[in-house]
Amino acid sequence: MSRYQGWFAFVLALAIAAGMFLVRTPLQLGLDLRGGSQLTVELRPAGDITVVGDQELEAVKAVLDRRVNGLGVAESTLQTVGGNQLVLQLPGEQDPTAAARILGDTALLEFRAQSPETEVNFRSLRQLQSQATAILQLRENQRSRGETPEPLDLESLSETLEELGVALPTGDGDAQLKVLLERVDAELLTLLEPAALTGKQLVSAGRQPLQNNPNSWEVTLNFDAEGAESFADLTKSIAGTNRLLAITLDNRLISAASVGPQFESAGISGGAATISGNFSAETARELEVKLRGGSLPLPVEVIEVRTIGPTLGAENIRRSLQAALSGLALVAVFMVIAYRLPGVVAVVALSLYALFNLSVYALLPVTLTLPGIAGFILSIGMAVDANVLIFERIKDELRRGNTLIRSIDTGFSEAFSSILDGHLTTLISCAALFILGTGLVKGFAATLGIGVLLSLFTALTCTRTLLRFLMGYAGLRRPSNFLPQGQLPTKAA
Amino acid sequence: MAPSSSEIPVALRLPLTAFRRRVWLVSGLALALSVAGLLACWFNPAIGTPLRPGLDFTGGTQIQLERDCGDSCRDLKAVAISDLIRNLELPPESDQPLPNIRSPRVQLLDGGESLLVRLPSLSAAQGQALISAVEPVAGPYVAGGQAVDTIGPSLGRQLLRTTLISLLAAFAGIAVYISFRYDGRYAVLALVALAHDVLIVCGVFAWLGLFLQLEVDSLFAVALLTIAGYSVNDTVVVFDRIRERRRQDASLNLSEQVDQAVSATLTRTLYTSGTTLLPLLALILFGGATLYWFAVALALGVVVGSWSSIALAPSLLTVWDRSGDA
Repeated sequence: MSRYQGWFAFVLALAIAAGMFLVRTPLQLGLDLRGGSQLTVELRPAGDITVVGDQELEAVKAVLDRRVNGLGVAESTLQTVGGNQLVLQLPGEQDPTAAARILGDTALLEFRAQSPETEVNFRSLRQLQSQATAILQLRENQRSRGETPEPLDLESLSETLEELGVALPTGDGDAQLKVLLERVDAELLTLLEPAALTGKQLVSAGRQPLQNNPNSWEVTLNFDAEGAESFADLTKSIAGTNRLLAITLDNRLISAASVGPQFESAGISGGAATISGNFSAETARELEVKLRGGSLPLPVEVIEVRTIGPTLGAENIRRSLQAALSGLALVAVFMVIAYRLPGVVAVVALSLYALFNLSVYALLPVTLTLPGIAGFILSIGMAVDANVLIFERIKDELRRGNTLIRSIDTGFSEAFSSILDGHLTTLISCAALFILGTGLVKGFAATLGIGVLLSLFTALTCTRTLLRFLMGYAGLRRPSNFLPQGQLPTKAA
Repeated sequence: MAPSSSEIPVALRLPLTAFRRRVWLVSGLALALSVAGLLACWFNPAIGTPLRPGLDFTGGTQIQLERDCGDSCRDLKAVAISDLIRNLELPPESDQPLPNIRSPRVQLLDGGESLLVRLPSLSAAQGQALISAVEPVAGPYVAGGQAVDTIGPSLGRQLLRTTLISLLAAFAGIAVYISFRYDGRYAVLALVALAHDVLIVCGVFAWLGLFLQLEVDSLFAVALLTIAGYSVNDTVVVFDRIRERRRQDASLNLSEQVDQAVSATLTRTLYTSGTTLLPLLALILFGGATLYWFAVALALGVVVGSWSSIALAPSLLTVWDRSGDA
């Protein structure tokens, strides 16, 4: 008997410890419960790299880490998933738009000299580019004010386009203009010499407003020694000519500047440059962050963006909590009706089970998501199953006319093999899901697996200890507390 | 020792062997209907797959907006929203073609309090633009009550692949475990019961996809995996009892052993299904739209799983064993 008192003290101490731990350590809630955004990017093989390996993934993660930190969002996490994906989580109400833009770009910065004898073409294309951009900007502004922009008439452009060898795309309005811009961009690139200097040689980037127009910003760059030398050579080669110094980002021309004749002898030295390409404070900051983070060794694509508002998250918590509690209450009522005293013991054991589960979530920690809570609710069913198996066996033994204490002990030992088999097979499924699954599936498998393991413990230890402990009281030691009188064998048998 | 253990007094008695043809007929019919549903979906030109795939598998953008509308919630018509979206011009994304939003799918849930829009993949900025464009008609929104999910098509393929692989891995692991603890026959029958349960749940959802346009999502995949685990758990307990009866009294013929084992575990199986159904019922009633069909799939799986472990798997065992002994 003292053995069970020892166990009883142990279970009690464990419950108190779990309760205190739970009060101090808050549970980690997933984004679907507290609101926030989740972005998944996938690496695309390019160039010489045909298979994305761990090395590439780590390199991309390092760059994206720097970019996300540069963005300055609170509590963000960036994790690798599978062999070629990265998941960025932004908790709270944060607009994922900027993050999506900043993650997706390769940010390959190149400095290229304009090829000789291309001045006329280059100038017209630049003009076309800035006009088209301005028109698009204007129309977007009109739309954001709720006005409907007038239909576009691009026919007037056809003569200019013909001269430049660019055909007018078919389509309507903005789409047409956009395609046109793309063609102009591509055409402009053909007029440039290969890159003399890239973003790799950057040591830092910054931004500042223009002196004459504080609403317009420029991005400042500083090169390392090698970069400074290349920059000096590059500027020297075109100083005093009509050829421009072009700066491209991800193969799009973002800025072009002339180099004055005073640099003809030595070029621009000092290793510093600025890009002034009609930036707003925000776009300048994004470019700065991207350049500081460095360019990605491989292109990435944003393949998933999930955003959920905090109110919806709170609603999810409220609903699943309501479901879990009412589920537990229904099960408790059922157990007490079906099994009498052991039913009450099972309810206490199940409450301990729920408590231990939550403490393990806080301890590991497990990030609770909606499917995770579903897994927990389902594991309640499995935990009940263990108790049902045991109590049915105890009833069987009592019906055979065994004494109460022997029936309890036999009931536990007889039920053990089915409980073990049932729990282990479920655990095998959980392991398969956890190892092979991703995201939602993983969270579900984690809570279900923890639940199954704990259910083995509470059914075999807590239920048994409590039951044996209560049997220490003569008043409770009556078979009729376990089984209706009519089903007990008569003494004569 | 207690009185002879060969005669357990049981509350319920089920002469399963006598009913087994009826059991097979019921399961056979259910399976045939399920396969018919899956095939009907597959050959339906609008669907083309055995189950109607949701956003998680096909890729695209889903926007959920909680409306702050009080009594006027029911006045909003889904057609008004889809007309509005159809004529919308989205901000372009630097190097991508504009998504085609001419055929949005708009749903109003919870009596108009919640608005659901499904479209081809939008960028984050385009999603926000659409939300503000719809606001004059559907607004005001509940602050923080928005959810936007954009999923690329490659993610859907990946989800399908990992789901199938983990399902197969779970099958294999369970088969190995049961072969080790029991023998190969039990393993095969447990897997037959499992396949039976999974197939019937899929079949029901195929029919739901045909008639209610219900789509299966990643939660459905999770539900299938859970049903697989639950079904085996349920069946194994019955098998454990059959094996125990065999050890205790080998002189009885197998049909009698199976009948006794099934009868002895009947209360347990029904109680366990009942207690698992209760939390699921709570999920169905209070879990909200996100978990509704997930809980329905699980509840269905529990019911079918109990049937296969009480009736189908043990009755198949009697046939297999007899032909093996003869």
